[in-house]
Amino acid sequence: MGEILQINHLEKSFGDHAVLRDINFSVQQGDVICIIGSSGSGKSTLLRCINFLEQPTGGQILYHGKDAATAWKRTLYNSKVGMVFQSFNLFGNLSVLENCVLGQMQVLKARRPEAEQRALEYLEKVGMAAYRQARPAQLSGGQKQRVAIARALCMEPEVLLFDEPTSALDPEMVGEVLSVMQRLAAAGMTMLIVTHEMSFARDVASRVLFMDGGVIVEDAPPAQLFSAPQQPRTQEFLKRVLERQL
Amino acid sequence: MPSNIPTTFIQWISFLVDKYGQLFLRGTGVTLLVALTGTVLGFILGLLVAIVRTIPLPRGKWYRQLPMRLVYLLLNVYIEVFRGTPMIVQSMVIYYGSMMVGIIKRGTPVLPAAILIVSINTGAYMAEIVRGGIISVDKGQKEATTAIGMTHWQSMVHVVLPQAVRNIMPSIGNEFVVNIKDSSVLNVISLNELYFTGKSAAGNYGRYFESFAIIACIYLVLTFTVTRLLRLLERKMDGSKNYTIYGSQSDSQSEITIPAEEA
Ligand SMILES: Nc1ncnc2c1ncn2[C@@H]1O[C@H](COP(=O)(O)OP(=O)(O)O)[C@@H](O)[C@H]1O
Ligand SMILES: [Mg+2]
Repeated sequence: MGEILQINHLEKSFGDHAVLRDINFSVQQGDVICIIGSSGSGKSTLLRCINFLEQPTGGQILYHGKDAATAWKRTLYNSKVGMVFQSFNLFGNLSVLENCVLGQMQVLKARRPEAEQRALEYLEKVGMAAYRQARPAQLSGGQKQRVAIARALCMEPEVLLFDEPTSALDPEMVGEVLSVMQRLAAAGMTMLIVTHEMSFARDVASRVLFMDGGVIVEDAPPAQLFSAPQQPRTQEFLKRVLERQL
Repeated sequence: MPSNIPTTFIQWISFLVDKYGQLFLRGTGVTLLVALTGTVLGFILGLLVAIVRTIPLPRGKWYRQLPMRLVYLLLNVYIEVFRGTPMIVQSMVIYYGSMMVGIIKRGTPVLPAAILIVSINTGAYMAEIVRGGIISVDKGQKEATTAIGMTHWQSMVHVVLPQAVRNIMPSIGNEFVVNIKDSSVLNVISLNELYFTGKSAAGNYGRYFESFAIIACIYLVLTFTVTRLLRLLERKMDGSKNYTIYGSQSDSQSEITIPAEEA
């Protein structure tokens, strides 16, 4: 099992406001890491720093042992570290199929027939192949998010980052997206998932990180973190959240 | 001719149309040519300016940002100057200025200079319009292109600009209509556009009202037609509101066409 990412002493501040402080963890191939924590604790910023949508202000991200910021070409690195956003961010001017084809042709320099074939393959996996011709505006939230996942998968990434992929969905659509993610996990996809779905984290994650105030407070397998959290802050957070959710 | 000198308004109109119809038509042609090429070139210019202005500043020390900041500054000056002065004044300055430094010689055709003036002027407005269009595209989509490894340029060309341009189509059309009307100021550099032909016709017989009533009608027909055509084009750009669901492995092979929800 190879190591894909190693985050070393990662820092991020916006002006004087330190949002991430001394973040350390590593991502092994096949890991499904769920990141939990209350709103404003820096979860999104962490994911956005990992794929350089935000520029870290300190520390290092190693991708296969080499500094991702300097030793890798930005476009190559980004194509290998995919991202699924809370608000889907599908390309509004393109059909479902073209959403999945564009990156393959522009970044991976794939030819159109192969790109379309791969796009259909992944759209089939998320159950959206029938909608290949539709525009994003014509889809429900759950459908949009499944297309967004297919679009990310089309780049054949090594890691997929998910930032609250179900938080913008109506409750009845959360299930369809979680089940796609569950299948991905079962197929061995390496994933980093910011989520508030505690039962999903407990059932699917190989590790859970609890963040608070810009630091990782606890990093443990779900069985341990949910049933026997070590840190008082984790205990308090889980008590608050689980009361509401379970 | 002396036997039938027009006396009424109607007679003057038909007389002038008869005598100067050809001239007016040619003037209309010149007006349309200048307005259309000026709008198209101005749009391209505005697009380039707007794209350059969206390039993020390079990271690092201040001196690495200096060239880019200088470019921003120059573009801002261009936009401010051309939006802040009347085109009639710009025409005089550019035309006689380029004559003074010898870019154009006395007696060379004035049309290229006219198109240049309209293009540069329109470019300044277009730059701001396009910028508004770019801002109107949800920035999450730009982030999504970055997240799959696309470059700033690829993202602009394939995702941001197509939507930006669609969103600003009404403003682009409006610029075209404005140019049809405002190209009339180019008569100050003796471009034989529509207004100029009207002035010549009017001067010959001293019939200003009748001549310019005709000219006004022609302008109105032009702008009215162009406005409708642009609206048609906009609808065409939106494409079909329907899409087909294809039979997938789990579905039957039948194809169903779904009407779109109202956006
Ligand atoms: N672009 C930004 N500029 C300034 N502050 C920001 C920016 N993005 C996030 N923050 C701040 O960083 C903190 C963490 O935000 P975020 O990473 O979105 O938290 P979470 O995803 O855990 O809710 C918040 O206090 C937020 O206000
Ligand atoms: Mg967040």
